[in-house]
Amino acid sequence: MSSETHLSPVATGEPSAPDTGEWVGELLLGGPERELALHLGAPLDRRALRELVDQRERELVAAGLAPGGSVSLRLPPSLGFVTVLLAAWRLGTQVSLLDYRLTQHEVDQAVARLAPQLLVQPAGPVSGALRALFDVEPVYLPNPAGVPAATPHTLIQLSSGSTGPSKIIGRTAADVIAELDRYNAIEGIPQRGERAVVLGSMVHVLGLVGGLLHGLNAGVPMVVPPRLTIDGILKALADGDAPTTLIGVPSQAEVLAAVVDPPALPGFRRMITGGELVRPELWRALTEGYGITLGNMYGMTELGVIATDIEGAHRPELTPAPGIAVRVVDGEVLLSRERSPYLGLVDPTRWADGWLRTRDAGEVDAVTGRVVIKGRLDSQVSIGGLKVDLTEVEQTLADAPGVEAAVVLYDEGIKAYVSVSADAAGGAVDAWLRERLAAYKRPRAVHVLPAMPRTSSGKLLRDRAALRAAAQRVADQN
Amino acid sequence: MSETTAAPTREDVVEMISGYRAQVSKGDTEELDSLELAWLLHQAEQRYGVELDLDDADLSRMHTVAGAAQVLADLVGGRGDG
Repeated sequence: MSSETHLSPVATGEPSAPDTGEWVGELLLGGPERELALHLGAPLDRRALRELVDQRERELVAAGLAPGGSVSLRLPPSLGFVTVLLAAWRLGTQVSLLDYRLTQHEVDQAVARLAPQLLVQPAGPVSGALRALFDVEPVYLPNPAGVPAATPHTLIQLSSGSTGPSKIIGRTAADVIAELDRYNAIEGIPQRGERAVVLGSMVHVLGLVGGLLHGLNAGVPMVVPPRLTIDGILKALADGDAPTTLIGVPSQAEVLAAVVDPPALPGFRRMITGGELVRPELWRALTEGYGITLGNMYGMTELGVIATDIEGAHRPELTPAPGIAVRVVDGEVLLSRERSPYLGLVDPTRWADGWLRTRDAGEVDAVTGRVVIKGRLDSQVSIGGLKVDLTEVEQTLADAPGVEAAVVLYDEGIKAYVSVSADAAGGAVDAWLRERLAAYKRPRAVHVLPAMPRTSSGKLLRDRAALRAAAQRVADQN
Repeated sequence: MSETTAAPTREDVVEMISGYRAQVSKGDTEELDSLELAWLLHQAEQRYGVELDLDDADLSRMHTVAGAAQVLADLVGGRGDG
């Protein structure tokens, strides 16, 4: 295996600690004191935000964090998340983000790999269906096994990996600033005087940079409805006359399009979805029903925003953001990136010679330079905007007690088919998955089959129809 | 009409989410994801003419069809009687 992996890509001569945090004050926190900075359940102006960040910075320092240090945030979307993140960056530390929905098992694994000096998490358990915003009090847990930042990255995120453990993705302050510059250069992106209602989670790249950081940088307050009910989203859109952009995922467009008689929304101008393209009928229903434009953005955790069609004028084509070079090799989209974004052990074919392989299929129009994305080339799927690697789910399931063989595929949701040994205990597999996989990664259904269908050469069959039929036969017999 | 004041049943819940599931070509499962739940609450408000202001405890019981039917029956059924 050693030929397929290599160690940290940090070359000699590069800085080994994140930048000082001056950029945070300059590019994110600056601006008129009374200007609305954020609306997270309640309006917050820049002066109040700066005071809260000052307070969080004192708390981080009191917990032992110093410039060049490392900290993991396991906080749900909240004012606490925003203020701790900005404070930790301004302090000049390396911040890793852990999704708050990860199980304790997943968090323990991540902390063991990342070795942050400090783990920041909510004082108590957080839950709440449809909540987009939480009220949390951060607690600061020093990690005796933690070490200071060993790389220049200011932002560390984990991504579900198609083989082995999840990938560790690092971005420097310069990378994040370059993305902010790209946002400002994208034609039609919200500017000062406008606001953005953001439905995607602020702990993932679109909500984090497109919503929170671009909003603070450009003076476009990010508004997050406390709950993602249809009523909650419509109320956030109706609140005020400022030109309003809605940022979400296609399935959220789907529920909004189904509102029979939407209220008057004078400020609502456009919706931009991340992820896959919306269906043509949905595009029509939403643009005509609300009198808005519906555009699309393509991005990834490694780079942030890559290509856009903000007004939906070129569907399905996307214009690469300024500064991003795109090419297609053997049907796969490659992106220019000077250095590898990956830390630690990683498949070296993911990045080579300044090009990042996206594992997305696509085409580039030689005349216009616009790109069309045609879906994944590997086993990654998007569940409500969150990336899930089906290989990770399948491997976890295959390791469960009593499971002899497992196939996990996407068929109207994540579906699993397993064969189990005679002595397998009922409920043990469910308990195993609940302990090891965040809820959004777990199969919607696990079908137990007496024997897994196989190909003539004995490989597990991955044909949806055949597996469905096998499950149906079992159901008919019961 | 008696249909609109009677407490919602499991069949009502399945019927209310069927429109959304057909749109996104999702099969029938007992589990409700968050968008199905958002859709269901909106449908239930329109069908029963009520404004549902549910707390976290109620919503956390609504991640299955059976649980959602129970919560809606408690709320809508209770109000219909009063």
